[in-house]
Parts: sequence; structure tokens; C-alpha cells
Amino acid sequence: MTLSPAALLRLLSRFAFALTLVGASMTAAGQGTILIGAPLPLTGGLAPEGLKLQRGYDLWAEEVNKTGGISVGNAKMPVKMVYYDYQSNTPRAVQLAEKLITDDKVNFLFSPFGSGATKAASAVSEKYGVPTIAPTASSVEVYDQHYKNLFGTYTPNSTLTEPIAELVRKNAPQVARVAILARNDLYPLALAEEFERSAKARGLNVVYFEKYAIGTLDHASAITQMRAAKPDWIIATGYINDMVLVRKQMSDQNLRAPVVTMINGPAYQEFIDATGALANNVTTASWWHPAARYTSKDVFKSSENFTNLFRTTYKVEPDFTSAGAAVAGAVLQMAIETAGTLDRDKVRSALRDGKFATFFGTIAFGPEGYANSYTPPVLQIQGGKPVVLVPADIKMADFRLGV
Amino acid sequence: MKRAWLIGPAAAVVLLIALPFIGNNYILRIATSMLMYVALASSWNYIGGFAGYPSFATAAFFGLGAYAGGILQFKGVPMVAAWLIAGVIVTAFASAVGRAILRLRGHYFAIASLVIADVLREVINGMTGVTGGGMGLNVPVMKIDVTTQARLFYAAMLAVAVLAVVTSALLDRSRIGFGLRCIEQNEDVALRLGVHTARYKTIAFALSSIYPALAGAVYASWVSYIDPAEAFDVLFSIKPIIMALLGGAGTVAGPIVGAFIFQAMEELVWRNFLSVHLGLLGLIVVLLILFLPQGLLRHRLLRPRMRPLLVKAP
Amino acid sequence: MLYLQVLVNGVLLGGLYSCIAVGFSLVWGVLNIINILHGSLIILGAYAAYFAFTLLGINPFFFVPLAGLLLFLLGYGLQAGVINRVMGASVLITLTLTFGLNLILENAMILAFKADYRKVVLDPPLGLIEIGTAILPRDRLYAMVLALILVAALYVLLRTTRIGRAIVAVRMDRDAAALMGVNVERIYAVTFGIGAFMAGAAGSLMSVMFPISPLTSVTFLGKAFVICVLGGLGSIPGVMVGGIMLGILESFGALWLGPDYSTTIAFVLLLVLLMFRPTGIMGKRGFD
Repeated sequence: MTLSPAALLRLLSRFAFALTLVGASMTAAGQGTILIGAPLPLTGGLAPEGLKLQRGYDLWAEEVNKTGGISVGNAKMPVKMVYYDYQSNTPRAVQLAEKLITDDKVNFLFSPFGSGATKAASAVSEKYGVPTIAPTASSVEVYDQHYKNLFGTYTPNSTLTEPIAELVRKNAPQVARVAILARNDLYPLALAEEFERSAKARGLNVVYFEKYAIGTLDHASAITQMRAAKPDWIIATGYINDMVLVRKQMSDQNLRAPVVTMINGPAYQEFIDATGALANNVTTASWWHPAARYTSKDVFKSSENFTNLFRTTYKVEPDFTSAGAAVAGAVLQMAIETAGTLDRDKVRSALRDGKFATFFGTIAFGPEGYANSYTPPVLQIQGGKPVVLVPADIKMADFRLGV
Repeated sequence: MKRAWLIGPAAAVVLLIALPFIGNNYILRIATSMLMYVALASSWNYIGGFAGYPSFATAAFFGLGAYAGGILQFKGVPMVAAWLIAGVIVTAFASAVGRAILRLRGHYFAIASLVIADVLREVINGMTGVTGGGMGLNVPVMKIDVTTQARLFYAAMLAVAVLAVVTSALLDRSRIGFGLRCIEQNEDVALRLGVHTARYKTIAFALSSIYPALAGAVYASWVSYIDPAEAFDVLFSIKPIIMALLGGAGTVAGPIVGAFIFQAMEELVWRNFLSVHLGLLGLIVVLLILFLPQGLLRHRLLRPRMRPLLVKAP
Repeated sequence: MLYLQVLVNGVLLGGLYSCIAVGFSLVWGVLNIINILHGSLIILGAYAAYFAFTLLGINPFFFVPLAGLLLFLLGYGLQAGVINRVMGASVLITLTLTFGLNLILENAMILAFKADYRKVVLDPPLGLIEIGTAILPRDRLYAMVLALILVAALYVLLRTTRIGRAIVAVRMDRDAAALMGVNVERIYAVTFGIGAFMAGAAGSLMSVMFPISPLTSVTFLGKAFVICVLGGLGSIPGVMVGGIMLGILESFGALWLGPDYSTTIAFVLLLVLLMFRPTGIMGKRGFD
């Protein structure tokens, strides 16, 4: 009795996949190590941001392990970060999040980069009940699923747009016409919509509002149209690669305005390096800046200490993305230490109820899962360096007009 | 001993039914994915294998089904109903589009079918209010535990795959199937011989859209989040073609075999060679085309024993 | 004023688009193969120019012929070695083969160069020219002019040189050409090589204007399709017209429908053309 070749082939293929499963089950956690999973965009359009996140996580893990690890009850357990590269491709981020949970058996998860990917992957965390800290998700749309396992360290987008709009109204009352160009992606679009709201609330006239597709390389059309609309305030949203392109192509077409705001980009050194003199007087906002002066109960002890440590280790200034990653670790650590156990339910409660004094500011997660407990700084590039304009207690310079 | 060849497929069927009870979630996830591709590959076969029209529209049907199903569920339509309605919508769409593009031949048809997905993707990307645009669509997550969910989606995908294969078998033996094969051999002659080429092609094209649409709708519920770039990914058009070619285009069992083997290879590659995964896939495709263009089931070595599974020998 | 600038934007880009599409059109017209690799070949040319610039200081505009030459060698080798085995096979086979080859090339590039964006930054920047109310960035202007010169050069090559006439002959009637003593296989390889040359040259020109990454290759492929169908296969003037038309269409499309729809217009147009006039605006003619 022989098997027909088709059936043989079919059985062979099942055998093949049974083998792959055996391979899968062989990666188990070492005893006494806390595994934290973090899918990162290490290649692709978001690679610069992915690298920043990795640096933040690594620095935190290093600091924690220097002290022996996280205190869980009476023991100290070292921390191990588990990374996978999702190549800036959101579905892959979701797949890898699931792989980290089911295959690598991580204890906790950090979200992938950005609001869009965070929201996508949060469904996985919720399914499996794994507390997940989102270090880079500020749009309230990310949290509208009422998930219990997602905790976002960024304050919502309106906390970025309101201070800037206020600043413009006070210092440049002649500004009347606003042009907005947004990347068609969750966070940049949500942020742009918030800007529209903040501008309109102050009686400004939004004369242009368009979206550009993810991966757009040529913004000439949009810039031409903006030029025709004669705006006083230009707002562009996207990620660092987009912002560099837009700023350069604006100069290609001689597009100028009294106020130009770009988020996310100018707060990063890479933007300043790539655009040179074009960066001057561009305004931006972020959730943290090295000028911050918080003292904290986390492993870093203070903002200054974190900044110095980062500078010594990586030879560059830390930006808000790296800091955000490090504080995600710090917050998780404090929650585990409060809970005294690695049990996911107990840690989840600790995260939900806690008020964490970190080097990033006080972080307390609201009922929807995101923090609204500190003031994000507004920055402007002056003389090739970012200076803080708001909040007043760390203000470094006055607002300048004209880009 | 005449029925000996049935043992293999029978064993496979038993395994398929037993899997939810013996496998863990991860295995079920892989199996669900495999079944999805069985459905996609078998469906492509109706228009690509039987009729010989190289359709690259599978991704368009899949993505549209995913969005239709996802949006309906978002608006509160119960899951299974949403799936079925999505299937109907996409089939109607395919019939309409098919009438327009099936007049083209060869390269032009291929490109036209490929571009449909792009147009749909851009349109959906732009309709931010309804579809979420670039922000993606979150399909409501079911409030049941993970294991039951895994089993549920496995069962759903299994159903779609079975339907696709059964349709393939029925088509194969039917008059329409015969007509399609005539079209594949020589369309002009077939027309002259009285075959209703336009009608048959449209039927095949519409049929080739149903199961990808259903699979897409199930997929959207399964992964709970879709965005335009992902749902209309060209690989959803390409992989089923490769699977059908691997197993043998124009046969009923070919796409099934091709789907399983290709997926097993892919899983092994993805797990171990993440960074060269696409390149290795490309290499497999190239080797396949150069050395095995007729597919496994039609290969000389296997041919004498394949007779029962090949109703119409090439 | 606005319309003038929009038109200028379109024309500037259109010239470059012609260069992007002409190689693709040639291969399709002569070998009857849709070369899915085309987009990646453009990117490879762009990388070659980028590295020549950052490591050797060669200006990408001057590097154009070298980029083309490198890609010619690659293209010739690919056709003679691999693609030649499926000449005459069905659309499905050839399309899938070039798709597979493209996957390999893309992965190789991602591994070698990382998928991050690279940008050639000319220092000092080339600046802009103002003509009335319209602004022409110099880098785009030079790129357009060079692109059109290259396409015109190809046209001349096909009309006047022996090998050019051989290519046209193969295109018109393969068997007759063979009977006349043309080595068809070699012509196929040369043609594919020339297609790759034009792709590499286009990539080199583009490296000044846009960031480079293996992930963007599929966009160029899409544009090449549209231009070929717009302008008609087998016609170099058609490709020029098609390229400029696409540039203008995208520019005005962005104006009327928003920047995020500019590529949709191209695809919708493609579909409409395929349904009603697949031979394109200029129709199908020999390469003359």
C-alpha cells in the first residue's frame, strides 16, 4: 500500500512544520531573569527612531543590572531586553509582539514605535494579558479601545499644540493664516488635527490642510500650494525623515513664513545636522528635554544624572525618544518593586494606581491608560541648538520670528 | 488497492480536524495561516490555472474583503454576518471589474489586475473618516479567551479553504471548467467552437474573488488591526500564484500541496533567517520557475501515479 | 501664478520620469518581458552614485554614465544567465521569475545598505532659478535636462547604429531578424543591458533629489508601467510624452485632489487606458 505522492508531500510538509515547532519551544527564559520584549524598527523609514529607543532601553537595563537587578520581593532579578526588528512595517511589529509573548515568553512588553504601531500591537497584549508600556504613543486614539494592558508615558497631543498656539498668539499676534501638512499616519494626523483645533480656538484661519502619503519623497506640489496660500504659520507633522525632506524642499521653492513648526524632527540632533542653517527658528515640542531638572526615585535619581550618563555612554545628547524608552523601563521597574512580584495582574494594578517620580517628570497613568501628569517643553532651534521656550521654570530664551 | 491513494488525503483530513484539540495556540496560528493560503491559491487557480489568465487581483479581493468585513464589524454588524456580506460585496465588485478588464490579454490583463489593488488601497487610504486611512482600522476584539479565539478562527479559515477546494473540484468537472481549459489552450478557437468565452471568464474571475474576500474578512477579525498597505500587500497576489505553480497550476490538488509546502518552507526560513527571508523566498521562486515550471504534481517522476488526482491530464 | 508653478513642477519631474520608463519600455517592447527588477535597478544606480559621491567625491551628475555602465553589465549578465531560459514562456512565468529575482536583489540591497534613507547632499547647494513667478530648483532642472538628453541619445542609437537597428528588427519580427543573421540571443541580452543602463542613469540623477532606500523601488516600477501604457509601447517619443504627461498629471492631481491622491490618479488613468485604449496615446509603433 503506497501513499500517493500528493499525500506524501502533504505529510512531509506537516512533518516540516512540526519540526519548526520543536525549535520554537526550545527558547525558554533562563531562571531568575526578567525578560522584556521590545519590537523595534531597526531598519526602514523609522530606523533613526528605532535606534534611539534601543539606546534608552539598553542604558536602563545596564543601570538596573549594575545594582543587581529589579527587586522582586526579597530577591534581585536581572533584566534582559529581547529585541526584534520589524523593519518599520506595522503588521510585522504585531506579529513579532505575538512571537515575543508566545515564543520567547517575555514577562512584559514595550510597544513598537509610534502611535500607529502601538495601537496595532496593543490588541495582542490585550489578548494575552501582558502589561505593555508605550514609550512613544501620544494620540488619544491609541487608547480608545479601553484596553487594560496598555500604559502610555506620553501626554496627549493637545499638550503639545496648546502651548505652541498660545506662544504664537502672544508673541506674534499678526499671525492670521495657518497651513498644515500632515503625514497620513495615526500620530502625525491626530497631532495635525489637534493643531487645527488649537489654531481655530484662537481665531486663526486655517487656509490649507492636506495629508501626504507615508513614504512620500516629493512634497513639491504641497509646498507649491502652501506658497500660493500665503501662510503666516506653517505646521508640518511626520517623522524625522519626512521633516528633513519638507524643510529642504520648502527652501527649494523659497517658501518662508514668520512661524514654522515641525513635529517630530527639530528636537533631534539628526534634523539639525541634516538641515544646517535651515533649521533655525523652527519651533517644535517634545515630551522631555535634557534641560529638564527633575529629581526622581527611579534608578537614574535625576534628569541631570540621566543626561550625563547617556552622554558618557553614547557621546551624544539624549533626546526625548531615548529618554522615553529609558523611563518606560524605570516605570516598569518601580511598578514591579511596588508589587513585589512578577505576577502580571499585580504589576498591572501597580502600574494603574501608581504615581511615579521619574527623571522624565511625574508619571501617573490616567483612567484611559495614558499619562497627563507633566508639562512637555516647547523648543525652538536658535543658532543651531534647541532652546526651551516653555515651561517657564526651565526657559532658556525668547521666541524668535521668521523662517 | 484501487483506493490506496485516498489514505494520504484521509490522514491529512483527520489531522486537520484534530488540530484544535491537540495543538497549542502557536500551531493553530500557523495552521490558520496555511489554510488561508490554500483558499487563496485554490481561488487563483480558477482564473489563472484553468483559464490561463494571469490574475494579480487576489490582493485586491483580499484587502477589500478585509476592509468590508472590518468596517461592518466596526459598525456593530455581528462577525459572521459581516464576513458573508463582505463576500457578496467583493464578488459584485469583481464581476463588474472583470467585465472591463477580461477583454485584455497577457501582460495588459496582468497589469490591470495588479493595479486594481493599488487603486483600492489609495482610495481606502484617503477615506480617513470611514476606514481610518493611514491610521488603520481596529476591528473589535472578541471578549473570549485566547485559546477559544484561536480555535474559532482556525475553524473559520478551514471552512473557507474547504469551500474553495470543493468549488475547485466542482469547477474542474463541470462544463464551465472544460470551457475554461479550452480558453487556456486557445481562446480564439474556443470562441469559434461556440464556447461562451466572455461569460465563462467573468464567472471564473468572480469565483476567484469570493474566497479571498471571505479569507480577508476573517483575517481582519483574526488580527484585529488592518491598514491599507498591509491589507492590499502585493504579496497576497504573488504568493498564491507561486503556491499554485509549485503544486501545479490547473490541478485541484496542486494549490493545496503548493500552499502547505511553501508555507512550511517560509516558516522555517522566517524563523531562522529573518534578515534574508525575502531574498530566500525570491531564490525559491527563481528555482521553481527555472526547474519546476509545471509544478510538483506534474513532474515527470511523479506523473504516472498522479492520475487519480489529475482529472484532466495536461 | 500657482498653475504655472504646478506645471513647472510637473515638467521638471516628467523629464526624469521619461528616463525612468524608457528602459522598462525597451525591455517590454523587445523581449516581451515585464521587468519587475526595474525599480530596484534604479535604486541600485542611485546607491552607486551615492557611494561614489560620499567615498570618492564624484558628483552624481557626472557619475551618470558610470552608473549606467555598471548596471549595463549587471543587466546583460542577468539576462544572458537567467532570464534567457524563459524567453518565449508565458506571461505568468516571466513575470514571476523577474519578481523572484527582484526579491533577491532587494534583500541583498537591504542587507548591504540597510533600509535607512540615504541622501546625497551637495555642498554648496545648487540653489534655484526664478523665471517670473515660477521657481525652478537647479538640481531638478539639471536632472530633467540630462534625462531628456539620455532618452534622446537612446533614440538616436536605435535609429542609426547597427546594433540599434538590430534591436528594432528583433522587436518587429524576431524570426525574420534571425534569418537576416542577427544573433537574437545576444540582442536580447544587450537590450536588457541597455534597459538597465537607463535605469542606473536615472537612479544616479535621482540621488541628488530624493532620499534613497530599497523600500522605494516599487514606486518607480508603478510609474514606469503607467508611462508605458500612456505613451504606448515601442515608442521613445511616446515615452517622453508619457513621462512628461505623468509628471504634469501628478502635479495637477495633487493640486485638485490633495497630495495624498497624486499617485492614485496615475493608477486610475492606467486602468482607464487599459480598458479603453491599451495601445496608449501614441499607439504601438516600431522603435523608430
